[in-house]
Amino acid sequence: MATRTPSTSPTPRAAYVLGGNRIPFARAGGKYAQASNQDMLTAALDGLVARYGLQGESIGEVAAGAVLKHSRDFNLTREAVLGSALAPTTPAYDVQQACATGLETVVSLSNKIRLGQLESAIAGGVDTTSDAPIAVSEKLRRVLLDVSHAKTPQQRLQALARLRPKDLAPATPRTSEPRTHLSMGEHQALTTAQWEITREAQDEVALRSHQRLAAAYDDGFFDDLVTPYRGLTRDANLRADTSLEKLAKLKPTFGLGLDAPATMTAGNSTPLTDGASTVLLGSADWAAAHDLTPLAAVVDAEAGAVDFVHGVDGLLMAPVFAVPRLLARHGLRLEDLEYVEIHEAFASTVLTTLAAWGSEEFGRERLGLDGAFGTVDPARLNVHGSSLAAGHPFAATGGRIVATIAKELHARRASQVAAGDDSPVRALVSVCAAGGLGLTALLEAA
Amino acid sequence: MTDRYLELVNSGLTQKLAQQLGLPRPAVLRRHRPGRPLLDGPALVLGTGPDADLVARLLSSPAGGAPTTGETPAVLDGWDVEVHRHATPDVRYAAVVLVLTGVEHPDDLTAPVLAAASTLKRLRPGGRVVTLSHPALDSDAPAVAAARQGVDGFLRSLAKELRQGATGNGVVVAPGVPVSAPSVVAALRFFLSARSAFVDGQLLEVDSAAGELPTDWEKPLAGKVAVVTGAARGIGAAIADVLARDGASVVAVDVPAAGEQLAQVANRVRGTALQLDVTAPDAGDRIIAHAKARHGRLDVVVHNAGITRDKLLANMSDDRWASVLAVNIAAQLRINEALLTSGDFADEPRIVSLASTSGIAGNRGQTNYAASKGGVIGMVRATAPLLAPFGGTANAVAPGFIETEMTARIPAVTRQVARRLNSLQQGGQPVDVAEAIAFLASPAAGGILGRTLRVCGQNMVGR
Amino acid sequence: MTSPATQVALPRVPGLGGLYGRGAWAAARLAAARGTRTPSPALPDVTYVVDDVRAEPDHLTTYQHLLHEPATDALPAGYVHVLGFPVAMALMVRPDFPLPLLGMVHVANRVEQRQALTLGDRLSVRAWARDLRPHRSGTQVDLVTEVSTAGAVAWLGVSTYLAKGVRLPDAPRDDAERPAFTPPVRTGRWELPADVGRRYAAVSGDRNPIHLSPVTARALGFPRAIAHGMYTASRALADVGAARGDAFTWAVEFAAPVLLPATPDVRVVPEADGFAFTAWHPRSGRLHLAGTVTPLHP
Repeated sequence: MATRTPSTSPTPRAAYVLGGNRIPFARAGGKYAQASNQDMLTAALDGLVARYGLQGESIGEVAAGAVLKHSRDFNLTREAVLGSALAPTTPAYDVQQACATGLETVVSLSNKIRLGQLESAIAGGVDTTSDAPIAVSEKLRRVLLDVSHAKTPQQRLQALARLRPKDLAPATPRTSEPRTHLSMGEHQALTTAQWEITREAQDEVALRSHQRLAAAYDDGFFDDLVTPYRGLTRDANLRADTSLEKLAKLKPTFGLGLDAPATMTAGNSTPLTDGASTVLLGSADWAAAHDLTPLAAVVDAEAGAVDFVHGVDGLLMAPVFAVPRLLARHGLRLEDLEYVEIHEAFASTVLTTLAAWGSEEFGRERLGLDGAFGTVDPARLNVHGSSLAAGHPFAATGGRIVATIAKELHARRASQVAAGDDSPVRALVSVCAAGGLGLTALLEAA
Repeated sequence: MTDRYLELVNSGLTQKLAQQLGLPRPAVLRRHRPGRPLLDGPALVLGTGPDADLVARLLSSPAGGAPTTGETPAVLDGWDVEVHRHATPDVRYAAVVLVLTGVEHPDDLTAPVLAAASTLKRLRPGGRVVTLSHPALDSDAPAVAAARQGVDGFLRSLAKELRQGATGNGVVVAPGVPVSAPSVVAALRFFLSARSAFVDGQLLEVDSAAGELPTDWEKPLAGKVAVVTGAARGIGAAIADVLARDGASVVAVDVPAAGEQLAQVANRVRGTALQLDVTAPDAGDRIIAHAKARHGRLDVVVHNAGITRDKLLANMSDDRWASVLAVNIAAQLRINEALLTSGDFADEPRIVSLASTSGIAGNRGQTNYAASKGGVIGMVRATAPLLAPFGGTANAVAPGFIETEMTARIPAVTRQVARRLNSLQQGGQPVDVAEAIAFLASPAAGGILGRTLRVCGQNMVGR
Repeated sequence: MTSPATQVALPRVPGLGGLYGRGAWAAARLAAARGTRTPSPALPDVTYVVDDVRAEPDHLTTYQHLLHEPATDALPAGYVHVLGFPVAMALMVRPDFPLPLLGMVHVANRVEQRQALTLGDRLSVRAWARDLRPHRSGTQVDLVTEVSTAGAVAWLGVSTYLAKGVRLPDAPRDDAERPAFTPPVRTGRWELPADVGRRYAAVSGDRNPIHLSPVTARALGFPRAIAHGMYTASRALADVGAARGDAFTWAVEFAAPVLLPATPDVRVVPEADGFAFTAWHPRSGRLHLAGTVTPLHP
């Protein structure tokens, strides 16, 4: 295969989303209970390769990652590439930015394409909570390390003698914040209470997510975005037949100890999920040479972070600050966006984000604006459902959102152009993440 | 699927036992492997006249050398086979070709047939007997028609007498079509080759001189873009494999639910996967759009997707009837409509549909399936004339008992019986169906219009 | 800060194990004397001095990991407390110290860190006692520890202890009630395992039996082992994080003890000038400790 050495250019060129593939997301302990991160990422890659005929292709670079990762997976993405139908000469690297991992792979690879460093790339992410790494206790770990460092049998025995039965119990993996020891749900409960988000509003967000995702599946929208895996053909968490009544029956699980009423339930929070996603990226030239249609350009991105440790802002509120900066850089307002994708970590994450953007006071005092940042018409928000319905395998969510909205952007623009309207069609993608992180990106239909 | 019985009677003690007991002893069929010679022994070409001479030259000319005829160069290169024009005693022939295009009276059959008869006991395993003849027409003189129709009966009977994996098939050349026509040459080669392993007792009509011989017989589909529906598993996956092996770029289509296997097939054949329900109203448009966008063109559509919902008609539910008809025939009609009106399927296009012996001979419990498969046979016959102006064809392949996941679900005893109910005394493999499809999809088959080729080992039911 | 002029130079920082032994002996002596006479109202008029104290890297790392501090070469303010504490202890186990060591409760602590201390600094530790005073439930005393390097005082700690039930003669009773505590919105939680008292005891040397195990704690009137006050205060300081800067005042008042294991709710938030921290029991709402970390402005 002829390899092109792209010339680096001083002016960035466009980087395009050319397509995507993911496996259906499974509930933890479900259909993918026996599948590893590497298994699932390989399956997602192979589905992408099959869809776009990339067998034996040397892709510029593949970047992916997992939030919950075994130490043996120190080269997870490369190993998945080697197990896939891609050429073994495809380089790869791992990325880890909590739930923003998937989107960050899209952003960083797009930037490399924009710089002329890459012609093609595959972004991705995978996570399994069914096959999460279990660590040994800190004491056992130290002892084992000392044993391996010991030079004489006596030293080894001495090290082992330090062990007590309780040291043999495994340390279960935790998803709580290392600094606050609060789970994400407990954190979001604080934010939910602060912004006085009602149970009804959250249940409505959840219902809409399920209804829209189900409708998209029924319309065949995901036929070229999802490849079944291990007998699962749709996201296992999807409840097409849910209703406000059913959602209202669920008992709150987060925010129980607060003064405000607890509103967050298993229905309006994302469950632990297993899955993997990939996004095919490329330059216009590469796309043309491979008979691929650019769907949307990855225009720009902005990361943010908040000081949740000291309660200054809610754990998942970083995008609230990043998005105004991102849009300002392009002279855009929220109203200029055809689509807004806000990752539904919790229904209330979406609602607190919108509440903060809609608040005059917050806009003036925290965002440095003249007033409220803006509003988002629900008709433009998470148009094909989001994580509440699909589930949220942490690092796989970014890829899911980008591939989905890029397809939607392209279709929208095509129908607009057919109707004689040549105006740009844009989408915002916003993903909150552990550690008070947020990553947001601006896409424009190609 | 493994045929345990076939394994037993072909190995060790059980082989001898079966011999002594006079049990049916199905042979292990020779199948195509790229690079293998066309035949593994000499061929005997019987008959007289220019057609027989041409066939003899075609077979015997060295590869790469163009055999010349009085008319046009038939092929770019010959097949490099050792050819005898007279039966030589003690020679074990790999093939006997009876060129009977010149028969004008049943008596004309006597010499070539008896010459052939003398070779049969020493025919090599997997040997081939192929007749070349003209169809008996209403306008023929009675003696001519008798001679020509007699070839039909002779060939079908001979095929039933052949053993050890040998097959007998015939090419029936329409009046006005020279024996050097691409489809006649290609059909002859197909029947001689290991590609037709499970095709037996069939007479395939060549209707016109259209078509184009390949520059490389190993890559007859080079540069072609082929769509295969139902490609995730079984026969569909085998079709994708064979089309890709023959040089085509393959678009593997199956329902979204079969996407995991579909992706594996697409990756194996280095094609693309298109998750699509063929019954969707826009299926045809999406197939064309995908093939055009991803591969730049569309040359071949193989309608393989099909389902069975067996039930005696008395117990047939609306849904069972309707879903089988919807998938097996209505979807094909709708997709063909889209193909024919798109303007993107006009460069010597090929449609090959999966029919079934059930659609020819009928099968208890399969009224819905047989109706749909009979429908396929009718559909290709009527579609071919619509494609002919563009050099296109529509044909069908009717598999008999093929070893697939579907037939593996048949109860064991019934399955064993079903397997033996043909001249080759075994079930066919998915690849056997795929080979026939690849042949009909090839440019050389452009003169075969609206026909249904059975791949059934000469099943006892039907024609 | 004025310290007693009489200086006693100790050759090294005393080992705390021995000190507790002597403290227990002194407690027994005081208990035997109780009832016959009130404690002597006078504090030992002496300053203990230890020069050339240095932090050990492994010890520092163990401390930092235990307290969730980053393992840098900077000595956390709580670590400096650990370095100086035995010197103050040596004072408290003197036969003429008027209060019993065992059973004394650490009720407040205030540290002024004037400059950052780092691994390798040669430290001088001075400790003295001051301000013996009545309290509504006993008698309080301040133990002052001063840590200098290169001749300048870098760190100054005042630990206030309460000897419950020990009354000064003719002392007015201080009946001031604590203000009622209403739990605020938490910013986090501490997960304190049952052995955290033992582990902090191992690193700090403060092996007061009330921290070590349920059995030893019960012997001294607690249902379970309790967390060291300085452990919890130092966790709060770690939660403030790098924002505390190099020079700050770190003040804490201890309320209800933290019975181990525990998962107290905590709130660590910026305030007008610095940070405020609070920790309380998540269900009962009882306050464990509250304090501030305030930058020292030059």
